[in-house]
Amino acid sequence: MPPALDLANLPDADVVALAQRGRDAAYRELIRRYERPVFSLVFRMVRDRELAEDLSQDTFIKVLQHIDRYRPEFKFSSWLFKIANNVAIDHLRRRQLDTVSMDGSPHAMTSDAVEATSFDISSRDESALDRMEARELGSAIETAIAQLRPEYRACILLRHVEDKSYEEIAATLDLPLGTVKTYIHRARHELRGLLEHLKQ
Amino acid sequence: MNYRHLLPEEFDLLLDDEVGFGVAPLREHARECAQCRAQLKSARVVVAALEELPRFAPSFTLADRVMAQVPVFVPWHVAARDTVVRYVPRSRPARLAAAGLAAAGGATLTGATLWLAARGDLVAFATNIAGNHLRDAAAQAGRDGMVALFGPQVVTTLQQGGLTGLALIAGGFLLAAAASAFGLRAIASSARRRS
Repeated sequence: MPPALDLANLPDADVVALAQRGRDAAYRELIRRYERPVFSLVFRMVRDRELAEDLSQDTFIKVLQHIDRYRPEFKFSSWLFKIANNVAIDHLRRRQLDTVSMDGSPHAMTSDAVEATSFDISSRDESALDRMEARELGSAIETAIAQLRPEYRACILLRHVEDKSYEEIAATLDLPLGTVKTYIHRARHELRGLLEHLKQ
Repeated sequence: MNYRHLLPEEFDLLLDDEVGFGVAPLREHARECAQCRAQLKSARVVVAALEELPRFAPSFTLADRVMAQVPVFVPWHVAARDTVVRYVPRSRPARLAAAGLAAAGGATLTGATLWLAARGDLVAFATNIAGNHLRDAAAQAGRDGMVALFGPQVVTTLQQGGLTGLALIAGGFLLAAAASAFGLRAIASSARRRS
């Protein structure tokens, strides 16, 4: 009798194929592999743990309910992050007033312009939960990331946290390659300025 | 020699540790130019901070909550195989013992089936006797019940009427039952209309 299938050592495409054949364990393996990356991305996009849990749950539900639509010529992680990003961006758009208040004018090209057109979120009254979340995301780099535009934030997180190539990010976010390079360049530039500002 | 500082996209090439054609001169310039070197250094600080960002963990119930809302269609042959695999022991000695027991049970059943097949007439005779006994017992029980409910004259009448009488009585019973059901339904409907 051969040993039970070791899903942890199978590539994504094989696990997805098993999930498409109705293997409950394969569904759980996909969640186990990507719950942290998806949650981290969404949490940094929306900066609310409870909300990030709900949005991550929605992401996985959407992906697994439509697992039969997955095409193996594309990376599963790219498809998953695309849906996660869309879910987060859709939420931020519905909360557009808060988004503008955090990120400043979308036409701002420099960190000074961003600062001039954004509201200071630290002046809100913070609950104990907000303070805990702020501690979790309270390092200078996290604070700086929160002040980026959502499009820049998604690109820079996929590039440096998820180690995606420019081409993969372009495929994930449905953006031209040149736009991805521009967004990442601007994000790095703005983060440098924000970090120097925060140091002062 | 013309001297220019690195362009923004050239900084990105160095930050991304690109090794293609044309990157070496950029790297050389960054080594020689103090301004570009300082800019590159501060950019590397940002990239290093980004790459050290931790991954956050969601609550441990996330997987269960997701699976509760995702219907998993399991093909019948996969479900059957999973059921069988669930009962197969994991250790080799236990699997050998289970196989031995299964073989012994299978051999016993096969032997019994072959024995019965060889003695088919004996089986038929025994089944016939048992069937007759059962039929007689059921008929007696039915007679006793009718006598208890309706008296001995009813049983005598039924026996004299034969199958035709029995059919007439059964038909009459069904008609009476149907009429009662329709009547009750009509009463219930009129009661609802009045209320």
